Amino acid sequence: MTKILFTDKLDNCIERWKSAGRTVIGPVQKNNISTYDTVKSASELDLNLVLPDRSIKELFFPQSEPMLRYTIKKEAINTSEFLPPSGQRIIFGARACDASGLAIDDPLFGWDYKDEYWFQRRNESVIVTIACTKADDFCMCTSLKLAPDSPKGSDIMLRPLENKKGWQVEELTERGREAFKTIADLLQESNEAAAPTITVPEKFDSTACAEWLKKPENFESKFWKEISLRCIGCGSCTYLCPTCHCFDIQDEGDTYNGIRRKNWDSCSFALFTMHTSGHNPRSTQSARWRQRIMHKFNYFPGKFSANSCSGCGRCTRQCPVDMGITETLQEISKLSQ
Amino acid sequence: MTENIQNAAQNIYKPAIMKIVARHDEAPGVRTMRLEFQDPAEHDQFKATYRTGMFGLYGIYGEGESTFCVASPETRKDYIECTFRQSGRVTSTLARSDIGDLVTFRGPYGNRFPIEEFYGKNLLFIAGGIALPPTRSVIWSCLDQREKFGKVTIVYGARTVADLVYKHELEEWLQRDDVDLVLAVDPGGESPDWKHRVGFVPTVLEEAAPSPDNCIAVLCGPPIMIKFTLISLKKLGFDETNVYTTLENRMKCGLGKCGRCNVGSIYVCKEGPVFTAAEVSRMPAADL
Repeated sequence: MTKILFTDKLDNCIERWKSAGRTVIGPVQKNNISTYDTVKSASELDLNLVLPDRSIKELFFPQSEPMLRYTIKKEAINTSEFLPPSGQRIIFGARACDASGLAIDDPLFGWDYKDEYWFQRRNESVIVTIACTKADDFCMCTSLKLAPDSPKGSDIMLRPLENKKGWQVEELTERGREAFKTIADLLQESNEAAAPTITVPEKFDSTACAEWLKKPENFESKFWKEISLRCIGCGSCTYLCPTCHCFDIQDEGDTYNGIRRKNWDSCSFALFTMHTSGHNPRSTQSARWRQRIMHKFNYFPGKFSANSCSGCGRCTRQCPVDMGITETLQEISKLSQ
Repeated sequence: MTENIQNAAQNIYKPAIMKIVARHDEAPGVRTMRLEFQDPAEHDQFKATYRTGMFGLYGIYGEGESTFCVASPETRKDYIECTFRQSGRVTSTLARSDIGDLVTFRGPYGNRFPIEEFYGKNLLFIAGGIALPPTRSVIWSCLDQREKFGKVTIVYGARTVADLVYKHELEEWLQRDDVDLVLAVDPGGESPDWKHRVGFVPTVLEEAAPSPDNCIAVLCGPPIMIKFTLISLKKLGFDETNVYTTLENRMKCGLGKCGRCNVGSIYVCKEGPVFTAAEVSRMPAADL
């Protein structure tokens, strides 16, 4: 016997969570783009997607985040702080790749200096992941040693029933258990079988890639130029990525009043590393693409023991010139043989 | 979005407010400013954490923040001195600021020069142009406890006589008999009354030929100068592990999160900015 959440009870669950003061968020269609957003009822949720176009990252690390408001008067600077809006949230219907992405970035945002903008949201969110029963050609979680039902970063794992009438409930963390206590009476014990989790074929050998990337002589391989020739440096891959965390800090306002913001930035942009002197350590698009791959699969694992990639495939799926991490790592897999 | 007034303790992006108490023009477009903390608690925190070699993000609200070294030594923590060339938005506005004006400071961040490890050794400082400020921080840290070190040699070169920074301090070091200062300007940069060397830093260094025995070298300068000076130091017999330098990359956070200052796998903001030449030689040269 397993606990089952039937789809026809989902509205009651959302109601229950809302009246307990939690905001319910899930995958929705918005202006022809699928993204994670607040919902009022189950009918707004789009749970049939392979995964939303936009990643879960922006719920924790918004594209533009106001941090400080400054007011300058003669002889005084007044600064007030923006804190992330507080409140418990339930993110219902996350994908395992997105949930893993959050867990991957936790050590980065907590490395010596704790970024409260990230952690306050992390601490107040329950991630309810639905194991994938479908995938597309771009999905590559298994190549990153993750899976369509990987528990990493999730508080609850739901496994769709074969008859599509609900989900088996697996409580993974205390935080998840707490959130599901509210709806305990809406769950039913049953023997309904879960649909098989989709099999995502492995597309490259990430261990072999990591070994190749670690070899100093490969840093200046002509491979980097060839593989990145068609990159137009638009930055889409970094913005859609659930683990890309690079940001810029910019002031918006004038000499006397304004707001200091933390905005998404991208290693694809030439200005990203440009010194005031004009010197640019990563002055070519190939150097920037190399940085992106090296950072994700060599530098980041060296520091935080995990690839900075959860295999969602958005970088490739939505690249305007049909490039992406998959192709690059497939080529590196070949080179490392 | 709700706006909460909170204390600064937990927001790692909130800078301290500093008052400009003195300023000095060093060279065309180059200015030094002395800044004082306004909040005693922030000052205490600075005093507790600052060590020579660490850097900070200096800022003006409305313009942004710029990363440069703390040019004053760990032996003088009543204030922060910074020396900058007026070139971008922040530095141009800083340069227009006057005594009494308020600016911001975030830091100190990064690692430091292991000055205790230099005790009992001879010191060789080599700097080019605007890179004297980070070197000067180490120089004064050592001169303020002069008895702990052996021979102190400083080799400093700039493009022209006008471009030499800290001219008043250079004068002081020339007068001191416990400091050997070798000054140089690039060929063509000399004035009619120039009494010192003419030539590039690596050449001048080789002529001065300081002994590598029991000697630590601290080298700061533009990338091209570093490259050739390292070759000269090798010729003179210096071991790469006894040569220290600082790297300066563009930074936004200074905290290891914004993702732009890394050279290879090394985050300059956290693992640097101070490195030995041996460490730098292991970094991918194409990423510097």
